Amino acid sequence: MPYPLIKRRDLIRAAVFATAASALGPAFSLAQAVSSGLTPAARGEDGSLFLTDRNWKAAFLNDHQNETLVALSDVVIPATGTPGAKEALVNRYLDLLLSVQPAEFQRQFVAALDFINKESQGQFGKDFRALALDDQIWLLTPWAYPQRASHWTEWNETRWKATPDLGQQRFEWLKALIAMAYYGSEIGQKELGWDGESINGPYEGCTHPGTTHT
Amino acid sequence: MAQDVLQQTYDAIVVGSGATGGWAAKRLSEAGLKVALVEAGRPVTAREFTEHMPAFQLKYRNHSPEVMRTRPIQRQCYACMEYNYEWFVNDLENPYSTPPDKPFTWQRLRVLGGRSLVWGRQSYRLSDVDFKAASRDGYDVDWPFSYADLAPFYDIVERYVGISGAAERDEMLPDGQFLPPMKMSCGEIRLRDSIKKRFGRTLTIGRTAVLTQPHNGRAACHYCGPCERGCMTYSYFSSPFTTVKDARKTGNCTLITDAIVSHVDMDTSNNLAQGVTFIHRTTKETKQVRGRAVILCAQALESTRILLNSSTREYSKGLANSSGLLGHYLMDHVVGGGASGTFDDLQVPPSANPPHRPNGIYVVRFRNTPATGNHPHFIRGYGFQGGASPEFNTGAPGIGADYKRAVKLGTYGVSLGAFGESLANFDNFCEIDPNLKDAWGIPALRISMAHGKNEADLMRDAGITAAEMLEAAGARNVGLTTRVEMPGMAIHEVGTARMGNDPKKSVLDSFCQSHDVSNLLVTDGSCFVSSACQNPTLTMMAITVRACDHLVERFRRNEI
Repeated sequence: MPYPLIKRRDLIRAAVFATAASALGPAFSLAQAVSSGLTPAARGEDGSLFLTDRNWKAAFLNDHQNETLVALSDVVIPATGTPGAKEALVNRYLDLLLSVQPAEFQRQFVAALDFINKESQGQFGKDFRALALDDQIWLLTPWAYPQRASHWTEWNETRWKATPDLGQQRFEWLKALIAMAYYGSEIGQKELGWDGESINGPYEGCTHPGTTHT
Repeated sequence: MAQDVLQQTYDAIVVGSGATGGWAAKRLSEAGLKVALVEAGRPVTAREFTEHMPAFQLKYRNHSPEVMRTRPIQRQCYACMEYNYEWFVNDLENPYSTPPDKPFTWQRLRVLGGRSLVWGRQSYRLSDVDFKAASRDGYDVDWPFSYADLAPFYDIVERYVGISGAAERDEMLPDGQFLPPMKMSCGEIRLRDSIKKRFGRTLTIGRTAVLTQPHNGRAACHYCGPCERGCMTYSYFSSPFTTVKDARKTGNCTLITDAIVSHVDMDTSNNLAQGVTFIHRTTKETKQVRGRAVILCAQALESTRILLNSSTREYSKGLANSSGLLGHYLMDHVVGGGASGTFDDLQVPPSANPPHRPNGIYVVRFRNTPATGNHPHFIRGYGFQGGASPEFNTGAPGIGADYKRAVKLGTYGVSLGAFGESLANFDNFCEIDPNLKDAWGIPALRISMAHGKNEADLMRDAGITAAEMLEAAGARNVGLTTRVEMPGMAIHEVGTARMGNDPKKSVLDSFCQSHDVSNLLVTDGSCFVSSACQNPTLTMMAITVRACDHLVERFRRNEI
């Protein structure tokens, strides 16, 4: 029998809110009148609304950096059958995040974007944002996979490990941030199959026959 | 604040409304005593719970600059989030100091219910292997009571709280009064069976204070997941909606919130505590509450701070400190050792949707047991907590459509993390920092604690044995860690006002009553003699009930 999702959720909410205020009775405090002491989340504020504000302006990135980030995120997580990083406004969330991060974090981020543009200029004579999609993929793909020591050179494993690929390190860091921003968004959650419900029946655990995993 | 609340003399003043304070208020008020329950924080209601709010609705998605600015220490705890950080103390207002080479993280909440609002809920009994450990290995001293003395009180607490779990008949982890256990995942069943077959060790589902069926007027868990953000159905145990609520229902319990207790007031004419002084959190007015008995349940370090700040001419080293041991023997479980890997052959797709089980698995201590004998490198032991489940693989290689597919395909992760016993050590202690006060002018603590070689060896062994168990169960990509995290990370601090039968070697007697001041009790984790390796809250609650029942008897005999 299907689990009655919405009815159960609404019943719980109604029952609890009806009794919550009277559950404890009055406490002897002046504080309630002075300060609610609630977080924005506890006040029920949807903090994501600023992302879709028509008058949105970057708080940290300049226009060039922002456009580079949009292009980069769109290559890493493009729209396929489902929306990608551009639709999830990954650049806007990361701009907000950057605006409140320590200066060293900000410096490293800008340096990583600059590095990609420098490589792009070196190979194509253009900034990354101006490249054709195929060229963007061609530039990024070698950095998107674990690097191994070559079987054809005399480099041994130790020597290879001592010379990490700077481009890969920087790209992996940017990719991790883009992935965090994308999969942390509502679009990203839906990409993972989130159905919008917070209650979905009891946890059944393993339902295989008894000796399946022995 | 209604002045009449402060003008009457209560039978008992309970300081702190968390797991132990709630029990003290409930037990004493239900016995007919007039109780004042004094809490440093504000009241709380279910209206502010956020367990069903998706993370993308947080403006900073849990990277709030306000949390980073005002809770740089508290945010080291996973439960201090953009959702609920106002429950945690503002570190700027609540400083403490440590020696430069001995960092300690002190996680505190100031709100009705205290840390019971966000606790991990794991609930395990100690056994006589723990209570009588010194008799077995010669280190330090035994507790002043045995398992048989505490078992009836474990029963009382478990029956009321509702602990889901499975009986295992393992002498290291006594069974209790359980609600039906939560289910295990495929990977956990594989690991359980493998561990039993290959090593003879016990892996059980976590014993947790989360209801698996309706219980005492509270609904069963609806498996939304993040209990630390509150529970609108009150399915996990937190004191405001259980013990404190029951205490208030009696009509005998007066709740005084926003009252930061600075010290215990003494009547020097009869050597009895006569109440407490507090600073109002928002008005900063100084006020007193009077009572015939004072029970400190403010959390180990906070209760000890209150006693150290209660010095009098007669007790110049701090109240209840004729032994000189108050503040010493600070313990916190050592954590950091463990292992993780993947079950690559388990083809179970990850899901972004509930049900999310708010619980893990537990591997019962298997080192230095009566059955396994003594380990050559260390004494005492550790238990493992962990789990096995499919996870989205955002670390997958590649870009574009292939990457999106790989993320959703996921991996099946498995991990075990150890909680090890922290040995009682006189040199691990807290004291008043003469140069540091909080925002209310109350002298703050200086905490000096470091884990030693035994703790380091426990974590080294834990990393090795965890990896062995995962590999034996068929895990791949196994990695291990043997690091020792900084003290305080387990948030299981105990031991700063230890119990004992000898007033020269302990602060409290076996009923948590001060040897020096007969109407002063401390029933939080301060009273622990050793830390064992099991999560301590269940034991703290059982000890509180035992101590309060004893206090009620003393009231009946007119000894107070």
